[in-house]
Amino acid sequence: LLSLCAQCHCVDFSNLVDRAVQLSDKLHFLSNSLKSDLDSHFPAVGKKIPRLSLCHTSSFRTPVDKSQVLSLPVSAESELLSLIQSLLLSWKDALLLLSSEASSLPHAWNTGIHTKAKQLQEDWHNLQTGLSTLAHKLGSSSISDAAAVPYTESSLGDDSTRLVNFHFLLSCFRRDSHKIDNFLKILRCRTHKKNPAVC
Amino acid sequence: AFVVLCCSCLSPPGKPRLTSCRSPEKETFTCWWEPGSDGGLPTNFSLFYRKENSDTVFECPDYHTAGKNSCFFSKNDTSIWVNYNITVVATNALGSNFSDPVDVDVVYIVQPHTPENLTVVLEGEENPFLVVRWEPPRMADTRSGWITLIYQLRVKLEEEEEWEEHFAGQQKQFNIFSLHSGEVYMVQVRCKPDHGFWSEWSTTAYVKVPDYISKDRSIWIL
Repeated sequence: LLSLCAQCHCVDFSNLVDRAVQLSDKLHFLSNSLKSDLDSHFPAVGKKIPRLSLCHTSSFRTPVDKSQVLSLPVSAESELLSLIQSLLLSWKDALLLLSSEASSLPHAWNTGIHTKAKQLQEDWHNLQTGLSTLAHKLGSSSISDAAAVPYTESSLGDDSTRLVNFHFLLSCFRRDSHKIDNFLKILRCRTHKKNPAVC
Repeated sequence: AFVVLCCSCLSPPGKPRLTSCRSPEKETFTCWWEPGSDGGLPTNFSLFYRKENSDTVFECPDYHTAGKNSCFFSKNDTSIWVNYNITVVATNALGSNFSDPVDVDVVYIVQPHTPENLTVVLEGEENPFLVVRWEPPRMADTRSGWITLIYQLRVKLEEEEEWEEHFAGQQKQFNIFSLHSGEVYMVQVRCKPDHGFWSEWSTTAYVKVPDYISKDRSIWIL
């Protein structure tokens, strides 16, 4: 156990950020891929979903262009990290719901939608754990759930609305997972400042 | 007779079509359209857009910068993680026609310019190899992490048909070993954002590999 702990301490912060970026990149790639699957199997559904400004996380104020993102405090990496963490945490219940309701969508089993939705939830969990480790390294107190925006619906509705709601929720997640990935990649470049080969 | 002639050849404009929207660096973007038939009369085009979080409709801020039948959105007009609902309207003296609207989030239309300053240097005397180096396109802010680019290069002997492709990841340098003695190599590079489209291939860098397999050595191999 002791040697294991010693090993853990060898992994420095920028290395941990690299690993988190691999996970966030994969998470966004997967949500993108699931969204294209839905678009190709159910082409009409995408037109019925509400505006993404109605996503449950849209009350969460995040930057909308480069100047706003880069003006986030440089000195305090933990502030950027806690922004990322809160956004990710806001998807805890919503992704559980996506993953559990995927199997009741039409053709869920033979389209691979079911498998990808399950994978999305697992990847979310891995990234969440990774970010907690990062925050711990930075010495910031563990993120409070208060900063996150919880998802309060407990179902995606009946057969007539489930597919539209699923598509909408996934489209919201695709956007947020891109934000998370982009913010983490900025954090990576800040931590790699002395190593310009990476950025 | 005049009336018949007029009605048979003059009409409101045909339906224009938005062909594509692209952003080279996730900070600005451009949309292009194709006119429909002009109805035999001078036709004007206007582009209108509405962002998902507002009901206000705006007209294209700049019809000139990106050339004919295009609209350029500068840094000030570009947000990301917001859908733009875009429509083009063609108008002549007899009426108007609207394109089908297109929804665009700038995040998903990024196609960078080609990488720059591609150089290929021959290193190693006994066993020469190529060191290929390049830089990101100037406009792409990879330094801050705002945009993340990955690279691919392709290599071929001058007289061969087929390119051989190599994936370089985020690296801006790539070594190529096992060179053919006395041949000329061609090298190109291109880049892609983490979640976007490949750029065009760069211009070609040529490098001549000297005859490095000496007589002694070929005898030794035999």
